[in-house]
Amino acid sequence: MFSNHVAKDSSAYCHGELSVDESRKFAEHLLLCSKCRNEFDEIKRGIAFATQLPIVSAPDSLWPTLDRQLAQLQVSSARNELRPQRGFLTRPQFAVIAATLVFSSILAVIWYRRAKTVTLNQPFWQVTKVDGIPTIASQGIGNTGRLNVGQWLETDARSRAEISVGSIGHVEVDPNTRVRLLETQPTEHRLELAEGKLSARIWAPPRLFFVDTPSAVAADLGCAYTLEVGKDGSSMLRVTSGWVELELKDRESIVPAGAACETRPGIGPGTPYFEDSSPGFRSHLSSIDFGETRDNRTLALTNILSESRPRDTLTLWHLISRVEGDDRVRVLERIEAFVPLPPDVTREGILRLDPEMLARWRTALERTWQGDMDTPKKGAEAYKEIKNGLTRRMSNFGSP
Amino acid sequence: MSELAAQRMERRAVMAQHLIDGPIIEACRRGDRDAFQTLFETYKDKVFSIALYSTGGDQAFAEDVTQQTFLKLFTAIQQFRGESEFTTWLYRLVVNACMDERRRRKRLLAVEETATLADTSDNSSQETQYARNEVALAVRSAIEELKPKFRLPILLKYIEGLSYEEIAVVMGCSKGTVASRLNRGHSQLAKRLAYLDRHIEISDLAKTSG
Repeated sequence: MFSNHVAKDSSAYCHGELSVDESRKFAEHLLLCSKCRNEFDEIKRGIAFATQLPIVSAPDSLWPTLDRQLAQLQVSSARNELRPQRGFLTRPQFAVIAATLVFSSILAVIWYRRAKTVTLNQPFWQVTKVDGIPTIASQGIGNTGRLNVGQWLETDARSRAEISVGSIGHVEVDPNTRVRLLETQPTEHRLELAEGKLSARIWAPPRLFFVDTPSAVAADLGCAYTLEVGKDGSSMLRVTSGWVELELKDRESIVPAGAACETRPGIGPGTPYFEDSSPGFRSHLSSIDFGETRDNRTLALTNILSESRPRDTLTLWHLISRVEGDDRVRVLERIEAFVPLPPDVTREGILRLDPEMLARWRTALERTWQGDMDTPKKGAEAYKEIKNGLTRRMSNFGSP
Repeated sequence: MSELAAQRMERRAVMAQHLIDGPIIEACRRGDRDAFQTLFETYKDKVFSIALYSTGGDQAFAEDVTQQTFLKLFTAIQQFRGESEFTTWLYRLVVNACMDERRRRKRLLAVEETATLADTSDNSSQETQYARNEVALAVRSAIEELKPKFRLPILLKYIEGLSYEEIAVVMGCSKGTVASRLNRGHSQLAKRLAYLDRHIEISDLAKTSG
């Protein structure tokens, strides 16, 4: 498939100009081709900039000048006008037929334009009831409903719903949940999860689908995950396939399949950890991320380093930029004990948090994070699953 | 204000609430000046914007092109039979008017090169007045710097919101060519405006565009 790169279709994909089959092939290719994904990201940026292009107001002085010119044209036109000859076209019967035709055409045009306007200008997501009576904008829905931009979808203790995210995936909404559709356009689909739990399964290029929570933004990198938000605004992310990025301002956590990450209001995403790590490990991590005293954090770090396994380098790699001084050196050395620094990465570079060196070391560490889990690199199982999902979902393509 | 003038204003307001469609075009064909004005008010900003961006921000050029476009529209509306979308037809007129005016000015430029260049630089203050923020100004500037073959499809897409097929009709090329030129245009925009990436998240841009 890599012999036929698809980046040339990026704009057409973003503007919804590809056929269902073409869109599916495009998305499938992007999932595994980093070259096209990079070009696609660039096109998306170009599109985002182009949408900022302002419409400039024409000067008010244009119409008076134009009006004078029109008046002159009409006068000269009237002088040259020939008297029409009376014939069939001027008979009353013809007038009645013509009027009927014109009226029908007008009705057809109005109907067509309204239908087109509803379809094109009011993007929405299709919501399907799973249990109980979910509401959209406080109105109970039947078996299905439309979630427009700005509207809240709410479930009570007995209701559940499923949302079709355009053509790129679906979201299951658990009981006692409030979600709002913030944006749906070719370059971005965005939900707000105020409270409750959702499960997302997305078959699209990375960073097209986002969920805003009170304490972080979850950016989809081609994956399946659950996200739960508590009454205090804290949240818990669990990734079951692919990758998710959590971000708040300059704090980011990259969470692969099999891992989880907590977030807190005012702090943002904590450090990700694999769910098969010990309860003690998680408790120490929580002290580092959200603990209040420096001493507690240093003690917790000591425990984490002693309990860590090779795949916990996921956690340790994130901690490098979150601890300072001697603690940073300790973390670096612990990771090095599992996976040495790549040839072009230096200790000094890592300690001064050189972004490129950190990224290169992360790439080397990712092998230890895979375990039995799927990742975009290993990806065969995930890809198969995603591809099947895409094919199935694309057959229902139709909403924005 | 006379009663007649008030009636006209009210009628224009009612007409303006609707999309330009059959009845308004029919009224224009009959020579109804109020219908002309409604048509003009509906499209003038978009036509003017396309003309302005097509010429690197030359205000006088854009005004001339806008006037020519609407004059041509009003005189030729008798021939519009609705085989194509009205907007497609209109923007074909804009594109042609831009090309005509550019040819005409090229001839004049040989004589008045210095004066014309000076006029262009004077427009920067008008542009600055108009631009509401740094990003919009930077985008506008970057789009004006694109080659015409990449700039025009972007203008037709983002100013008027035409589909690829409609843009192809206006530009007289294939849909594939439109897709390819838009892709290259977007790519060049992203590269030229890369310095704004640090300050502005793409998601923020997308949000504000909506």
